[in-house]
Amino acid sequence: MKVRTFITGIGIITPVGTGYHEIQDFIRTGNPTIRPLRLFRSETVLPTGEVNQSFPNDDIPRTHRLAMIAAADAMKTNPGTVDAIVMATSTGGMSVTEELLRKNETAPEKYQYHAAGSVADYIAGQLRCFGPVITISTACSSGTAALKMALELIRSGRAKKVLAIASDSLCRFTYFGFHSLQLIDPSGARPFDLNRKGMTVSEGAAALLLEAGERVPETACAEILGAGLSCDAYHPTAPHPEGEGARNAMLQALEDASLSPSDIDYINLHGTGTVDNDLSEAKAVNQIFAEKKPPLSSVKGAMGHPLAAAGLIEAVICTICIQQNLIPANTGCTIPDPKPNLQPVLSPMEHPVDTVLSNSFGFGGNNASVVIRSVKGNGNPVLLKKTSPLEVIGCECITGAGGTTSTLNRFLNGENCNGVFPLAALSEDLPPRLIRRLKRLPQMALALADSLQKNTISFQSPLSIFWGTGWGALSETYDFLIKLFESNEKFTSPTDFIGSVHNAAAGQVAMYLKSKGANITTTGGDYSFEQALLSASLLHPVNTDESVLVMGADEYHTKLSGLFDGSVSNSRENSDGGGALLLKHPGTARGMNISCCFYERAEHHPDIIQALIRSLGSPEQIGRKFGALLVGIPASLRECGEKQLREFLNQTRFNKPVIDYRKQIGEYASASATAAVIGIKLLQLNHIPARLSGEHDIELDGKGILLIGTGTFVTAIEIFQS
Amino acid sequence: MENLLNELKEKVIETLNLMDVTPGDFDVDGQLVGGDLGIDSIDVLELVMMIEKDYSVVIDNKELGEKVFRSLRTLAVFIDQNRSKSSQ
Repeated sequence: MKVRTFITGIGIITPVGTGYHEIQDFIRTGNPTIRPLRLFRSETVLPTGEVNQSFPNDDIPRTHRLAMIAAADAMKTNPGTVDAIVMATSTGGMSVTEELLRKNETAPEKYQYHAAGSVADYIAGQLRCFGPVITISTACSSGTAALKMALELIRSGRAKKVLAIASDSLCRFTYFGFHSLQLIDPSGARPFDLNRKGMTVSEGAAALLLEAGERVPETACAEILGAGLSCDAYHPTAPHPEGEGARNAMLQALEDASLSPSDIDYINLHGTGTVDNDLSEAKAVNQIFAEKKPPLSSVKGAMGHPLAAAGLIEAVICTICIQQNLIPANTGCTIPDPKPNLQPVLSPMEHPVDTVLSNSFGFGGNNASVVIRSVKGNGNPVLLKKTSPLEVIGCECITGAGGTTSTLNRFLNGENCNGVFPLAALSEDLPPRLIRRLKRLPQMALALADSLQKNTISFQSPLSIFWGTGWGALSETYDFLIKLFESNEKFTSPTDFIGSVHNAAAGQVAMYLKSKGANITTTGGDYSFEQALLSASLLHPVNTDESVLVMGADEYHTKLSGLFDGSVSNSRENSDGGGALLLKHPGTARGMNISCCFYERAEHHPDIIQALIRSLGSPEQIGRKFGALLVGIPASLRECGEKQLREFLNQTRFNKPVIDYRKQIGEYASASATAAVIGIKLLQLNHIPARLSGEHDIELDGKGILLIGTGTFVTAIEIFQS
Repeated sequence: MENLLNELKEKVIETLNLMDVTPGDFDVDGQLVGGDLGIDSIDVLELVMMIEKDYSVVIDNKELGEKVFRSLRTLAVFIDQNRSKSSQ
């Protein structure tokens, strides 16, 4: 069966307008709304793009509010819920968190909306969506990357109706962060202008309701034909000077859409207004569209750069352009810089637009492009293809006990591996110059990647990288804010700002291993690694023998971990760690396979355990297939998790060893990444040692290991011999 | 000037966490950015913050930065000239 992916609802809130009609008016005029900062008080007043909307002064952050407005707008013609939500954000609840930290607030409940993943959870709660609920945080490419993920969820048959949402709000963190990088144009962004001096930080949200269909639904506004992802693997912030990654993302989007460059009627440029971005993007565009360039423009000179929300806001603008045959102006550009040689559209125009290519690029060398077309033609029907398990080539982990060998020695002996392994010992094998600017989390990621490289037989660099983290780089985040506050907002560390984005560690690993395929960072508390594994099965190209690296890690931070993560404040000993799996599509030979086969939200979902059992087959099949259960019960959700586990055990009559692994490895959001590595090693061992089973050695007899996550989500990862 | 140069060597090493560099490794007239020390554009921004904080000397644009950070000596001269200007 073939499937097409239609946009059947759009929602938008931006500095240049809210809702379809205001945005259409904006496209027709191109009037800018960039103006000096007003949202918060500061001695440093720079131009910003602000959404003209104030919210009640309560705990719910601006990012969440903006996201909900966009989501409601997109859903207004489609009552009901969705099968999945893919969220893009980088700031999450930072606008609230930074104020709380400034006031030294120590009550953890005040920080309940801090997590980037909490925005999607908030929307899922409002829409009563069971999920999957996935959050992508790849800095400024997040929005378009989320669209690719939503597209693949539909193409895999895992969802028929997906809401892709992106939201970021202005906050001191991004405002002073980009200022410290000297990337802000004091006159406001002027993309592709001869005198451009940088970007304008902005905010906003957009949502696209995507629906699977064989035929064009009545509500369809446009169709997503394809999208492409790539990584520069070149520099933490600067784009590749020749636009190599940008070119790859655009070419892949065109290939995915089954189109050639001549089919594109308009290019929505990333065009931030920084000297380097605009030059690099122009080189890539000029290479692909060497024969004839279609009309092209960036809207960021009018609204500024809404960071993670940019991709979806621009996808909505492109959809309206297609419906109304409009092309937006490249506001802010008065004297086009001859060097990029792009000739952007200087005034809005009416012009037939059928097919659009839209670009988003971000820190970490992340690139994403998407192709959107009107519903007039035959579209791009794609064969529905279920995701398959991936084969394990290698795996490594870190716990308080150290690396993989020390962890296993202790774990299999029934001993604890919790604690915080010393940083110096963690990265003793990494070159000093590689790690001199990196704090704990990226060093953990690099140590995992380095161990894989050293310990995997005939190691070859992975094509793509999927990285899950519940809380991101806490050390960099904290140090950035404290320096900012202590200097009365005069000084901070640009290095910490760069390192604070959730995808910074994945970017470092990509540079280290030279991985230029998709580079995706997912975040969602205790289920971040599951999101990464699920994303890998959806996004790692099917037609390649190259491998994919799936990782998850979280650091313990003395000030922040206890405030953000209820399980940390509930645990006896502070711990951190993570795990990394090198995977590929299975060959013909037998091997060990892994797959995230279940991922649903527990709230308002009384049948979630039955749904889990159904996804695994039946109670009998579960008994035949699995020889042990590794269960993750976060300390803050122990009562709820134990109840879910009891229900599962009662309904399946599962009588094999059940290992409550957090009791041995400690409490951290990505503990399941470590548990996955332990599960693989147990399967290799083919028995559960007596100290672990609590009785005697239990043979697995070729049966697999089931790794279950409990709490606010219920998840299942199966590890088995093919 | 020699004192300032020596002070800057220590401060650059500390600010940029150059674990494998000692003050003796600096060629004060050699290329500071993109040279043997492994200093890049992000480090320059970090040094800009340090210089403004410790010497009250502002380097707030890329063009100026390119001139000032040519070598450790050009940096020291710039700090010396602008520091004395503001203290006069």
